[in-house]
Order: sequence, then structure tokens, then C-alpha cells
Amino acid sequence: MMDKILIIDDDEELCELVSEYLTVEGFEIACVNDGASGLEAALSGKYDMAILDVMLPKMNGFDVLRSLREQSKLPVIMLTARGDDMERIVGLEIGADDYLPKPFNPRELAARLRAILRRSVAADDDPGQEAIEVDDVKVSPGSRVVTLAGTEVNLTSVEFGLLLELLREAGKVVKKEDLSESVLERKLSPFDRSLDMHISNLRKKLGVRADGSERIKTIRSVGYIYTVV
Amino acid sequence: MKLFVKIFLWFLAAIALMVGVIIFVTRTFQTEPMVSRFERSTRNQLTVYSGTATQIVSVEGEAGLRTFLNRLKDLDTRRPVSLLAPDGSPWFGESIDSPQAPELIDRTVSSGEVEIYFSAEDRSLGAAPVDFPNGKRYVLMFSWERQPPQSLFWGSTPGYIRLAGLLFTAILLCYLLALYLTSPIRKLREATNRLAAGDLSTRVAGRVGNRRDELSDLARDFDGMAERIESLITSQQRLTRDISHELRSPLARMNVALEIAKQKSGPESSSIIERIEGESARLNDMISRLLTLAKLESGAEEVERGRLDLAEIVRDVAADADFEAQAKGKFVEVSKADSCSVMGSENLLRSAIENVLRNAVRYTADRTVVDVALTKSNGHVVLRVSDHGGGVPEQELQNLFRPFYRVGEARERKTGGIGLGLAIAERAIKAHKGSITAKNTADGLTVEIVLDRVEN
Repeated sequence: MMDKILIIDDDEELCELVSEYLTVEGFEIACVNDGASGLEAALSGKYDMAILDVMLPKMNGFDVLRSLREQSKLPVIMLTARGDDMERIVGLEIGADDYLPKPFNPRELAARLRAILRRSVAADDDPGQEAIEVDDVKVSPGSRVVTLAGTEVNLTSVEFGLLLELLREAGKVVKKEDLSESVLERKLSPFDRSLDMHISNLRKKLGVRADGSERIKTIRSVGYIYTVV
Repeated sequence: MKLFVKIFLWFLAAIALMVGVIIFVTRTFQTEPMVSRFERSTRNQLTVYSGTATQIVSVEGEAGLRTFLNRLKDLDTRRPVSLLAPDGSPWFGESIDSPQAPELIDRTVSSGEVEIYFSAEDRSLGAAPVDFPNGKRYVLMFSWERQPPQSLFWGSTPGYIRLAGLLFTAILLCYLLALYLTSPIRKLREATNRLAAGDLSTRVAGRVGNRRDELSDLARDFDGMAERIESLITSQQRLTRDISHELRSPLARMNVALEIAKQKSGPESSSIIERIEGESARLNDMISRLLTLAKLESGAEEVERGRLDLAEIVRDVAADADFEAQAKGKFVEVSKADSCSVMGSENLLRSAIENVLRNAVRYTADRTVVDVALTKSNGHVVLRVSDHGGGVPEQELQNLFRPFYRVGEARERKTGGIGLGLAIAERAIKAHKGSITAKNTADGLTVEIVLDRVEN
């Protein structure tokens, strides 16, 4: 079955071109040109994933994403303005799974789509995996549910992947390069800070331990470690 | 000297000069008439005394005259009164030992009229004839010190009060006048400085007060000029931003179209498509840098301030730059990184340091090391990035931070720069109230960033 992708972007010509490209790459594409109908389509349950532009008429990308996240875990890639750090950070904070600065390389778009889809599909296909529990955090790879002291925490697929990797190696340093390749499915490139940003969002969502200590520590220019008490 | 002081002193000097001239003119031209007026009144008075004395001596005799003269002496304290015989011997009072006295007595005796000897230097004398019943003519002689002309401001209490009053009024008036003239000028100057520093919203007309003169006109003209500059610059910035923004959509489409072309075309055209891709990537890079620059220049991006460990950022960026540099056979090394904190936006500072480092890596000679040193001093942190790329001509140094500035056209093209990196770094550092400068070293260029430090 082909993966169904929803593109929400007001640039109709771009939508056409991207559709053409991604169709050849083996995706099924639908395009919507404004935020309000984009949200409606995203909530329809007909799609496996959405590509969401920030600048949209009627309802901007952030608002669409915010409303979407209230009801759905549909994976979302945000298209942000290049060089605008704020958009990037806000997008990831609201719950985008990944972002791509516009203008983007369509090959990269396809690669990221596949990476995110693979993660969500892999989880569905592999329900037998055992849950991992480190102090008060419990991660069930099968159901993709994360609970913190019993309450569920909403994580994007990237954050989920990162947390899973870190917990599997709890107490040991996980290299940035490895995280980038296993979770983001791309090579770590210099000056790329998206991993740091995902980790920082993850930190915010998990909070600190009761004694105030940081759960995920940064080992400068090496990687991250999920500390064990 | 300050204009305020100049105006103040000039007006004070003018007032002093005017007072001086008035005193001088009064002294020089009014002394004579005053003397003649005094002489006339003295002469009249003496004539009356002369007549009265003659009358008294003829009616009441010598005893009556003595009483009269005693009364006269008491009344007229300032003038010693003597009645002298024609030979100068005193009949009443004391003898007058002035050298002019004998001659004056002779003249009075012979003329029978009041005679006066005026002297500006010593004692003046007045002589009035008194005819005794025995036919003898005596002379009633007055002598008085010449009154020294009273100084207007000196030597007496009223003079000092006058002087103090005049000085106080003059200084107060000059001070107020100087203030009135210079305070709008000072405000204009402050406004000009603010405008020059980049605060384009500076206006001054409302601040020079409610006045209608050339200075308020100037203030209004200044505002007109500032408004014009502001609109010009904002429209230029908006243009840059809008152009860059609008260029993106076609570029995004082009990127996708290129990929489709690649999917569909054979291997024979792949090299040229890659070339187009490379150019589009370069265009893309340029546009995003332009947008960053426009955003920094318009100040639209508020610098969100947080406490940052600069050493960590520097090590981080340097590690990335080293990774990139090694691909070209160059190196980046952090020789010193004092632990220090600054307040600022991590993204902006990161991009500033990244741009400076990448620039250094671009120009440093093959197989050389770009040195990065972060040191802290009192209240400041100093980041020095030194390359071994031969430096730039001395007169070009301050132009390095201008957008699209190229030191050597050919050199720049070959190395792939677009001349925006240092401009972005400069705006980012300025947004943190820091400074960025470049200077030549023995075989390269050193870029120095100075930022305010906060205590750890």
C-alpha cells in the first residue's frame, strides 16, 4: 500500500511539482492550499503523514499544528523559512516531527518522509518489543506510549526515537552521530543543530527528576547520556 | 570651548564693558558742569553770608557777629569758618595757611565781591567781604576739602551693594541667555548622535520647547530629514527583505523541478543538472544570508537574552568548523577558552562566531591552522580568530564588514564567498552591544570580538 501524504502549502505550483516528484518516488499525494482546510484534511484520518508550510492563508502552520496535536499524532514535517531559527524552534516545540527549511531539496524531503514513516510503521509492526523502564519513565516501543510517573507524555516520533535510543543505553554516552543516523536517518553535518533542539524539547517535556537533577545530560561535542540514579 | 561658556562669557564681557563705558563717560564729561554748578551755588551762599554778616555787625556789633559766626560754624560743619583781617590775621576762627589765601583776601578786599578759588587737587577757598562799621573790610573765609568723586561701586557699602546687585543680575541674565540659546543646540546634537547611531525614530522638535525662532526651525528641519532617512532606509530594508522572500518561492519550485528533470533525464545530462543544482544552492544560501542580514539590520529580531557559556559555544562551533576545514586540508584549533558567561541570544552569537570562523577557514592557506582564543578580562570577553591567509590591505580593513564587500574580486570568487558572512557577524555582535574589528598580523588576519561579560 502506498503511503498517503498530505501537502498543506499555499504555493499551488510548488504543490504540483512536489506531487509529481513524490509520486515517482512512490508516494500518494494530496494537496491543500490553506490552513483551515488543511487541518480538516489532516484530521480526516486518510493520511499517513503531512507536510505543513508555516506561511499559510486563513490559519498559519503553527495554529494548524497546534490544533492537530490536540487530537492526532499524525506525523508532520514543517517547511520553515530558511534562516529563521524562531520558526524552527517553535515548530518543534509545538510537536512537529521534523522540519525542512524552504527552499528544500526534494530528495531530502523524500528521505525524511521515509525515515519518519518507517519509524511509525516499525513500531506498529513490532508490538512484541518489551517496554523499557528507567526510574519513573516507561517507554513501550510497541504502542509508542511514554509515561512519566504513570501519566502519558506526548512525544513526536523523533523525540520518541531519541528517548528510546537513550534509554536503551541508559547510563552510557550515545554519540550524536549515532543518534542522527538511527533516529533522523541522516548523517550528522557540521553546524546542524536540529538534534540539540529535539533533545532540548525532550528535556522540557520530561522535566527534571524530583531531586532537581537533569535526566539527559549533554556531553559536549560527543553526545548525550540518560543519567541513572 | 563649549558654546555655552562662550556665550556666557561674551555677554558678561559685553555688560561689563557697557558699565565701564558709562562710568568713564560720566566721569569725563559730567565733572565740569557739576563743578560750575557747585561754584554758582557756593557763590550765592557766600554772598548771602556776606550781606548778613555786614548787617549783623552794623546792628548788633562784634558780639552779635561772633554769635552768628559760631552758629554758622555749627551749621556748616564741613567748612571751617574764619573771619580774617585784610592782613590775614584771624578775627574769628583759625588762620588759613593756604598759599592762595593772601591773594584771595586782597582780591576780596579790593573788589568787595565774593571770590572763590577752586582747586581740583587741594583745598578750595571761598572769600566773602564783611564791612565793619569802622570802615574796615574783613574777609569771611571758608575752606573745604575737595570731595573726592564718589566711586559708584567701590569704597562704600551702597557701592558694594550696587556692585553685587549688578554682578548678580548680569550673571543670572547671561546664564539664562546662554542656556536659552544652547540647550536646543545640545538637544539637537544628542538627537543627531542618536540618529547616527541608528535610532531612526529620533525626533527633536517636541523637545526644544515652545519657541518660534531659527533654532526651532532647525529642529523641525532635522525632524523632516530624520523622517526622510527613516522612510528611505526602512523601504530599502523592506525591499531587500521582500525581494529575498519572493525569490524563495521560484527557487523552491526550481529545486523540485530540477529533481524531476533528474528523474527523467538520462545520465548524459546529469552533470549539467548538478551544476544547475549547485548554482541554485548558492543562490539559496545568498538569499537566506540576505534575509538574516535584513532582519538584523531592521532590528526586527529581538535579541532574547539568556546567560550563555561562551566557551562552550566557541568550542562547539570550532569543532564543527574544524570538521569542515579538514575536508579542505585546513584546521581550526581552540588555543584558549576561558570559561565565561555573556548575556545574549545563543543563535545570534553562534551565527556570528560561525561566520567569522568560516571566513577564516576560507582564506587561511592550505595546511595551516586557524587559531581561536577566548580570553576574559575585566568586564569583557575577547574572542580572537586568527588565520594565515595573508591579511588584507590596511585601507580595506574597515570595509570588511560591509555587505557584499570584496577585497579581491578574483580571490573571492575562487573561494566561493559571497561577502555577507562578516556583515552578518557584525550586525549580530552589534545587537549585543559588542564590537568586532579586524587587524592584520604577520601573515594573516585577526578578527576580534569584544562582548560584555557577566559574572559567572
